[in-house]
Parts: sequence; C-alpha cells; structure tokens
Amino acid sequence: MAIRSGVAIASLAVAGFMALPACGPPSSTSASSASSTTPRTAWGHPDLQGVWRYEGAIPLERPEQFAERASLTEKEVAERQQLEQEQAAKRLAGQEGAAVGRRSVAESPIRGNEYNSFWQDHGRPRQVSSRTSLITDPPDGRLPFTADARKAEARASARYGVGPFESYLDPDTGERCLTDGVTGMMWQGPNGGHNRIVQSPGYVTIMHEEYRDRRVIPLDGRPHGNIRQWFGDAVGRWEGDTLVVDTTNFLDRTNYEWANIWTRPSESLRLVERFKRIDANTMEYTITVEDPTTFTRPWTAVIPISKLSNDTQIYEYACHEGNYAMPNLLRGGRTDAARAASKVRRP
Amino acid sequence: MRAGSRVAVTVALVAALSACAPSGASQSTSYVAPRTADGVPDLNGVWQTLNTANYDIQAHPARPALAIIPATPRTGTPGLVRATHTDLPALALRPLGAVGGVPAGASVVEGDEIPYQPWALAKKKENAEHWLERDPEIKCFMPGVPRATYMPYPLQILQSTNTVLIAYEFAGTTRTIHLDTVGNSPSPSWMGWSRGRWEGDTLVVEVTDFNEDTWFDRAGNFHSDALHVVERYTPVSPYHLMYEATIEDPKVFTRPWKMRMPLYRRFDADAQIREYKCVEFVEQLMYGQLGVIDPATGAVNK
Repeated sequence: MAIRSGVAIASLAVAGFMALPACGPPSSTSASSASSTTPRTAWGHPDLQGVWRYEGAIPLERPEQFAERASLTEKEVAERQQLEQEQAAKRLAGQEGAAVGRRSVAESPIRGNEYNSFWQDHGRPRQVSSRTSLITDPPDGRLPFTADARKAEARASARYGVGPFESYLDPDTGERCLTDGVTGMMWQGPNGGHNRIVQSPGYVTIMHEEYRDRRVIPLDGRPHGNIRQWFGDAVGRWEGDTLVVDTTNFLDRTNYEWANIWTRPSESLRLVERFKRIDANTMEYTITVEDPTTFTRPWTAVIPISKLSNDTQIYEYACHEGNYAMPNLLRGGRTDAARAASKVRRP
Repeated sequence: MRAGSRVAVTVALVAALSACAPSGASQSTSYVAPRTADGVPDLNGVWQTLNTANYDIQAHPARPALAIIPATPRTGTPGLVRATHTDLPALALRPLGAVGGVPAGASVVEGDEIPYQPWALAKKKENAEHWLERDPEIKCFMPGVPRATYMPYPLQILQSTNTVLIAYEFAGTTRTIHLDTVGNSPSPSWMGWSRGRWEGDTLVVEVTDFNEDTWFDRAGNFHSDALHVVERYTPVSPYHLMYEATIEDPKVFTRPWKMRMPLYRRFDADAQIREYKCVEFVEQLMYGQLGVIDPATGAVNK
C-alpha cells in the first residue's frame, strides 16, 4: 500500500484505534465522511454532544387564527416578540406559571398555579419565529387525529389538573412519575426539558432530565429486536452528518391517562427522528410520527433546539422517590368523595 | 516523518492485536486494556456482577426467604421430643416457595467486617427485621452507590471524551461521571455526584452528596448523608473489570471499609440495557389503599 499523504497516515492511525474496542463488544459503525463544519468526536462521528433544550415559542399545532398560513408577517412577529418579553418578565416575577408547551395561568384550571409554577423552568424569553407551527406536515399544521383520538384528547384536556382522582390510575403518566412520552422527550418538559446527549463509539445516549428518561441508541446496524418497551426499540444510523433514529416495538400504554395524547405509545407507533446541527448552537430536530391507532396519517414536526452553555448540567430527577403529590391527591379525592356523600345525606 | 509515522502506526496496530489476546483472569498487573480514541482504557460495554451481594454484602448462609419468622425456641431433649421446624418464610412470601429463597454467598466486604458504631449496628439489625417495610428497592427507589453495581441487573458503561455514563437497568437510573471540572452538586441525591479520573488503567470515581435514603443490600446495611464512596474500575481481562468501593461515613462507621468484586462482560448476543420501569410495578403496593377505590381489587377504601 502506498501511503500518499499525512492525512492518510492520520486516518489509518484512527482506524487502528477504532479497531481496539472490537476485541470485546461490537465495533462502532464507520465514521461518516467529514464534509461540513459539524464538530467531530475523537472517533470521527458528527458530534451532537451537549445539553439541549427547546427554547422556541412556536406551538406544535398552528393556532386556528392563522388557518392556512405557515408564516407570520413581520408585524405579527414583532408583536409576538413584545408579548414574549412581557410574559418572560411576568414568569420571572412569579406571576406566570406558563412554560413551554403548557397552559398559561389564565388557561389553567388550577387556581393560582403556584405549586406548578414553583417547579417550572422560568427562563429567558422564548425565541420567536415567523413559523406558525412546529408541524410542517400535514400542510394545515394540525395533528391528524382520528375521530376517537380527537375525543380522547378533548377528554384528556378537560381532566388534566381537574380529576376526578379516585385512584393512582387517574393522574396522568407524568404525575405518576412514569414519563410524558418519547415523542416530546427532546423538546417538552416544563419541569426539566434539558437533554444531555453523550456519544460513545457505537452509541448515542440521550438523557432527558424530567423523569430521568434515558435512551441508549445503538448505531451498529443491528435490526430491531422483538421486546416491547415504553420507549420502544431504537436503532440509529448516520446519514451524512444527520443522526437518524428509527424506533418501533413500543408498549401499548394507551390505557393510561396522558396529559397530551399525541405523546402516547401504542404497538402501532413508529417514530423516525432526525438530529442535524445547523449552526454552532442550534439543532434541527425532525420527528415523523406514524401511528394509525391515534392518527389518520403520518405527521412531521421540525423543531429548532438550542444548545445550552457547556457548564449546564442535568440534575437527578427523583420524581417517584419524592412523589408526595400522589398520596395527597388521593387524600383529596377521598375528602371530595366524603363531602359529596355527606351532601347527599343532608339535603 | 512519513516512515516514522508508519512505524508508529504499526506499533499501535500490534499493540491493538496483542491487547486482544486472552490473558489469565485477575492478572491485573500484566493486563493492558485496549485504548479508546482518546487514548484512555476502554471500559465500554455491558457489565454485570455474578454474586449475592445484593442479598447481603457479608457472608451469609442460605435461608428460606428474605423475611422470615424465626423458629420458636426449642424445648426438651433433642431426639426425645417431636420434630420442630426451623425458620419459616414470612406469611406474605410463603407462596413463593423455593423461588423466594436466599442463596448463600461469600462476603464482598474486605475482612467480612463492617465497622458500625454501636448504635448503627443496632439499627442495621432492626432494618433487617423490618426489611419488607423498609428496603428502598421494594419501592423502586433509586438504589444508590455502590448497590446499583451489584443488583441483579446489567449496567452499561458509555465512555465519551470528558464524560463517562453508567446506565443501570434497575429503575432506569443513569450516572454522569465528570472527568473534567464540574461545579458542586446543588443538593443531596440518591445516586450521588460523581467526579472521575484515571490512575493508570483504573477509573477512579469520587462519589459524594448522597442522601441517607439508600441501603447497601437487602440485609439492612445502611449509611448516612455523610457517605463518601471511592470507586475503582480496573480492567483485568477483555471480559472482566475489578470493582472496588471504599466506604467512608464517620456518622455511621468507625473507619473506612472496602468492598471488592469482579464485573463480567455480558457478551451474549444482543446484550443491552432494557427498561425496568418499576414505578408501574409498585404503584398498587404503595398507593392502592390510599384512593377512593383500589382499581386492582375493586375494593372501596374507607
């Protein structure tokens, strides 16, 4: 073999080191060709590592007022920017419990919302964009719910924070400290929407702070397994500098209460995600959700996610360990039931 | 320089090949682990212990169940009175039969002695007697360190440049080990705050900022929030890591003490960390009697 340049020597040396882990576990997939400014890991993969969080103000679904419009006018963008500044100031002053993807105080059925506000992540003003929805397909920017799913979503919306709470199955999956679902994991989470991505040869691991949700995604080309899980069975691959993760084999947990039913897993769910760095501090995260149990057709959302400063940490989220809310909620449910019964007895 | 580089590459490749050759177990002094692209020992993989430390980190004989009703004191002269039974499984565990038994096991504690202060030894014994009500494992609480290492579930080491993750199967817990500078922990926690460094081929992890809510095993061994654990992960063959944990807790023990055990590489096909989201498994146990109704039994709670 003729060694033609120092570059070739360097890449051979890398290949030599790459071969080392192959003694034990399966080796990593080959590095994609370096073609862009995307940083690289020591072993040559595109580097997506860091702590990421959705800090945008774009709603998942297009608000009805914008109907068929995918973009806002400059004037509308300026108005929203103004509104966002005001709301952020209110949040910081403790007057506003709203956080990304959740209801504002005005919309919340929970009086005052103080308790939830305490937990939520008050932060910088969210980034305003001219886009009217994260959903890019269907073109109307709305979730293509089946008729039954639409009814279920309306029921979930009416129940959330209201109850009744007669047993531990009545709170939503988040209040039970299970998860809010894999579909929104990268960009939802008012109490801990930070995600740390860590790469090691052959794997991308995503840690979501809220509920300490974790996904260890293999990149070695293995096929899907046959074991169903809450977060399914994820396999990843590089397409150029884009990480593509294909997840199937979800458990059916449509029998539980979900705050947002579009995040619920069923056995027919297939989730395809694309992670692509578009500048130093932004990742374009694209999800395509296919699940005939809940939707009439596949839908796609494109979500700009921000990289936070290098000293940002993910902290331990001991939700279940400290779920004092559950016994208190159930105690409240029993008190309500006892009061209702005594009213019946004393007309 | 080209020729020189070629020699260096050849040396690296030869080193790689020789590192793959099997070596005798526990030859920790002679074994040189393969290197990552960053040039540090490569500990990546799915690992698991093969011991009974989660039952009891000290030496223990087999017994019929984790919770037992002790045998009543004997009366009369052996051989002249009717047979009596020995310890029985607690009533709640009796239907499990042989499945619910505890296998015998050697101590993973150096010298088999845990140097409890007198009050703490009494509390350990009390914990053991009330295991069924008190062991945090039963409630699917995060197991703490080092218990997470020797629970009967695999763990996966995922090594990046400045970060090592340990992904545990039980309760979906993940530890972030910071190899670079990191600020202090903002609060006590179940899994502690981990700072790592390399000492030769050994990954040394200082773990601090624990709460006092985790145990060491199902035998009631415990600690306080002053716990400080120093873990050492040393590759001793392509298929084994030697794991050591030094335990220091001046509120509970009279001196530091040490555990030591091998971790085995899981190299069965498709070895990986699965979900064990046990919150779902314990909700009825923890909350069934608290609501208006228990949906598992249909019982109306009064």
